Amino acid sequence: MSETIQVTINGVSTVVEKSKSVLEVLHTNELDLPSVCYHPSLGAIETCDTCMVEVNGEIVRGCSTSLSKGDNINTTASHVKEAQDIAMNRILYNHELYCTVCDYNNGTCEIHNTVKQMKKDHQAIPFDAKPEQVDNSNAFYRYDPDQCILCGRCVEACQDVQVTETLTIDWERERPRVIWDNDVPINESSCVSCGHCSTVCPCNAMMEKGMEGEAGFLTGMPDGTLRPMIELTKNVETGYNSILAISDMESAMRENRIKKTKTVCTYCGVGCSFDVWTKGRDILKVEPQAEAPANGISTCIKGKFGWDYVNSDERLTKPLIREGDSFREAEWDEAVKLIASKFSSIKETHGPDALSFISSSKCTNEESYLMQKLGRSVIGTNNIDNCSRYCQTPATKGLFRTVGYGGDSGSITDIEMSELVIVIGSNTSESHPVLSTRVKRSNKLHGQKLIVSDLRKHEMAERSDLFIRPSSGTDLVWLSAVTKYIIDEGWADEAFLKGRVNGLDDYIESLETFTLQYAEEVTGIAQVELIKIATMIHHSNSTVALWAMGVTQHSGGSDTSTAISNLLLVTGNYGKPGTGAYPLRGHNNVQGASDFGSMPNMMPGYEEVTDEKVREKYEKAWGSPLPKEIGLNNHEMVKSIHDGNLKCMYLKGEDMGIVDSNLNYVHDAFEKLDFFVVQDLFLTKTAEFADVVLPASPSLEKEGTFTNTERRIQRLYQALDELGDSKPDWKIIMMIANELGADWNYSHPRDIMAEAVQLADLFAGVSYDRLEGYDSQQWPVTADGKDSPLLFQEDFPFPDGKARLFPIDWTEPIQFDDEYDLHVNNGRLLEHFHEGNMTYKNEGIKAKTPESFIEVSPELADERGITDGTLVRLSSPYGAIKLKCLVTDRVQGKEIYVPLNDSGEGAINLLTSSYADKDTDTPVYKEVKAKMEILKDKGSSPLPKINHRYGNPQPQIGVQVERKWARKDYLFPGDMVKKEANRFGKSH
Amino acid sequence: MAKAIKSIKKIELSEEERRAQDLKEIEDALIDNKEALLETLEVVGHMKDRGVISVLNGMFGEGDRVLKVLVDLLSTKENTMAIKNLLLLVGALGRINVKELEPLMERLNNGIENVSEHEEVHHKTGYLDLIKALKDPEINRSLSILLLFLKGMGSEKDQGM
Repeated sequence: MSETIQVTINGVSTVVEKSKSVLEVLHTNELDLPSVCYHPSLGAIETCDTCMVEVNGEIVRGCSTSLSKGDNINTTASHVKEAQDIAMNRILYNHELYCTVCDYNNGTCEIHNTVKQMKKDHQAIPFDAKPEQVDNSNAFYRYDPDQCILCGRCVEACQDVQVTETLTIDWERERPRVIWDNDVPINESSCVSCGHCSTVCPCNAMMEKGMEGEAGFLTGMPDGTLRPMIELTKNVETGYNSILAISDMESAMRENRIKKTKTVCTYCGVGCSFDVWTKGRDILKVEPQAEAPANGISTCIKGKFGWDYVNSDERLTKPLIREGDSFREAEWDEAVKLIASKFSSIKETHGPDALSFISSSKCTNEESYLMQKLGRSVIGTNNIDNCSRYCQTPATKGLFRTVGYGGDSGSITDIEMSELVIVIGSNTSESHPVLSTRVKRSNKLHGQKLIVSDLRKHEMAERSDLFIRPSSGTDLVWLSAVTKYIIDEGWADEAFLKGRVNGLDDYIESLETFTLQYAEEVTGIAQVELIKIATMIHHSNSTVALWAMGVTQHSGGSDTSTAISNLLLVTGNYGKPGTGAYPLRGHNNVQGASDFGSMPNMMPGYEEVTDEKVREKYEKAWGSPLPKEIGLNNHEMVKSIHDGNLKCMYLKGEDMGIVDSNLNYVHDAFEKLDFFVVQDLFLTKTAEFADVVLPASPSLEKEGTFTNTERRIQRLYQALDELGDSKPDWKIIMMIANELGADWNYSHPRDIMAEAVQLADLFAGVSYDRLEGYDSQQWPVTADGKDSPLLFQEDFPFPDGKARLFPIDWTEPIQFDDEYDLHVNNGRLLEHFHEGNMTYKNEGIKAKTPESFIEVSPELADERGITDGTLVRLSSPYGAIKLKCLVTDRVQGKEIYVPLNDSGEGAINLLTSSYADKDTDTPVYKEVKAKMEILKDKGSSPLPKINHRYGNPQPQIGVQVERKWARKDYLFPGDMVKKEANRFGKSH
Repeated sequence: MAKAIKSIKKIELSEEERRAQDLKEIEDALIDNKEALLETLEVVGHMKDRGVISVLNGMFGEGDRVLKVLVDLLSTKENTMAIKNLLLLVGALGRINVKELEPLMERLNNGIENVSEHEEVHHKTGYLDLIKALKDPEINRSLSILLLFLKGMGSEKDQGM
């Protein structure tokens, strides 16, 4: 319980929480206090002055004033009201009230609502237009200086929540306004279009373009009529009351045709949830909610604005059946019958293990569950896998070895509160944008330390307190050396090791070789740097480690993940708030796809298929015998096709023909399949090889649940009807199963979840009722519904409850012939996703980032005569790609970087090999070398000048309201009414 | 050997099939909304009789132009004033205490009746007539009421509502 104190509010003695501001106290006690600039997720900004309140005889800002015992608060005195009124007049001087014809008139406009709350009928200072044009340059939102009240919420969000540091208010110009970078148009600035500013704007100044002319009944009228209409509304006004009443009516009418649906983002694994506003099939905007558990008010460009793919003309709307050298549209009935008969005949001729199933990290938990049930129970094979094989399985492996659960140890809030964050092989601000903002914020404002280990100097590296660039694939070595150094120095957490960890002695022995000197030789990191890392960990009361593909997609990916976990165990960084291991999951439901059993060796809830008891449980529930042997993973499936054993594949929501490694080899395999079914939104590269293509519906068109990187299960609701004849994946799988005689009867994803949680103990208490709206549950969930935001607080899920230190060795990365002299790093870009199927449907994103490219270091550019736009061919022993170059110091020496978002001649996986992590078969995407050949010397830059990477951020803390207060024309409303009161007193 | 292919032969509905499909959809909608539709048709019939339909047709047909003309018209000074007055009057009406006004209105009506009965009055009223008239109880009562009204109207009152 927080400390309480006694204060007097308007003469009434009241007990309040000491930590709260006057404004919060009044709001909790349901007392009115205007507060235009205040936003609960941003805190006190102090720009609007409308929350004037008297405390102990002094007029102060309620938002930023804390309380002491016995304080006397007055909100009703006439001079208090007068001070509030002065502040509100200043706002209305900056904002024209034409609510009924304003797209923001949706019940949430702070200005409208405050005018109403204050019963304000007239304004003392008339509105005066600012001498500036609307900035329409950005594709996603626009800024209207004329409507801007200079509350600074957008600046606060940009500087200190998103921490892109683009927005400021130029307080010194005659009429202040929000500016981008050093006052350039929005589109030429460092703005990453994350949408925070338009989300927090209290009015229509910063507004999503999807809303423009769409939200209101009268807002769509041509400009020539709109302006006279605004003038008319203003001229006839007899006072705001009647105007506001009409606009309230209009706003209520809007509710009838604008649908607001809670959904969960379908891009990365952070698991942002928000309301999506739709009108018919049009998506007006995405509106984040403070109550969203993973992201609050935060989004990135993709979650906020990247939904065009849903209404793309290229969406498949009917099943397609291969006929000769083209596909023919068909009806569902025909397609499903064909699939069932092919599956049956292949099973009959070659046995169930000639068939294979691939689930999608884009699909829901329920759909992953049904896919593996189809494979195991209806067909009788464990040949089922999902795309986490391409990214995160090694991390899961490392955690299973050491701590027993294959998921993030805690929540994003733990990362936020930690004293030290170590980021290894993760371009967090581009791959997990919203999660990275929490680190950037804590680092900027709260003294959190940040260590980054990466080849590339990305944004996190730029912001870090310590940045190391070890040779590719050597993270395990420095991690182990640092761990050894910590133990040798006596800095290990002895009590934790003694009470909660097994295997210390063997582990210490295994560290023998990892001396600082050895580590320096292998990694290229100076010993002093390594000591610095060890010291920083030692001095921090809590440390978290975040890692991603830079660790996992190596020959020793599972081992490096294990090394990270070992380090955390040795330093006692598990089971306490602000500690733990965070393998950042790359897709919205990559966690859930594995959780719900789409793995060749595990049933839902990570129970082994080889465990007879487990199989019995499922056999009883499903009423069919289950296969005993571990099935094939993705990687093995491809090989098995080449070997002639695997004949048939049913794949949903995964463009394996682009995202798997060594594409030429994969494509050859697809061609060899007897029967290939692909289920997707689009005719993807993979689907081009299919015999039957089934049109699926994306997240906005269905219900279900996703599980994010925090193990958090969240519900999505249906915002739109299915497009054409497309169907949600769960319905399609059920049709196929039933055609094969399964007799499944799920009428809603809720039924599927109910079945799954009865069987998988890990999710025992998960239920749709407990997941209503923005409620969520983090597994493990016990039968009574209690979930686990932070793991390992009591014990580790091993028989004796203790974690295990797991000895590991370093595996040298794959070697290439000398002619392949360039190391090809590859990964994500903020604005695109995966193979680009979804984000390249977005014109706004395409304008900013139209094509993939190769990042080349200034040194290499010099040596080879490369400039921005030089077209080159990269060749590895496995294939070649053709892309334009971009010279940047994000990369150094002979290391180059290729974004993975191209599905044509630049598809990175034409270069990658079929080598894989020795423990999990995850391809070694990051171990690629190539040679470069210049095809065309000069060309236009692949990255247009309007890309945010050319921007010029202006870091500062908050909106710097002091500069407003320092203006000659600024008077504190409290002082004005005091003067007034004094003058009044004297003359009478 | 299934090579990658991209071309799709769409199901091309013939004109007839498409028409049949559309008709089916319409038919379903008609049946689903039978009651509402029949009643609506009745309303539409009345509207046709009164000529409302053709007026609406013209208005909606030229929506933006009509709206522009309307807004321009309303924006003229007199009309803006009229709307403003109207809004003010609506506000004023809300403040009149009709209950207390009622007995007064009765009297006012009597007065009007009396005047209309003697519409063709031509004789002039002199001082003496006035003084004499004060003795008439009806006139005296009227004057007392008027004096009270004038007193009330002149007194300074708070603007409170």
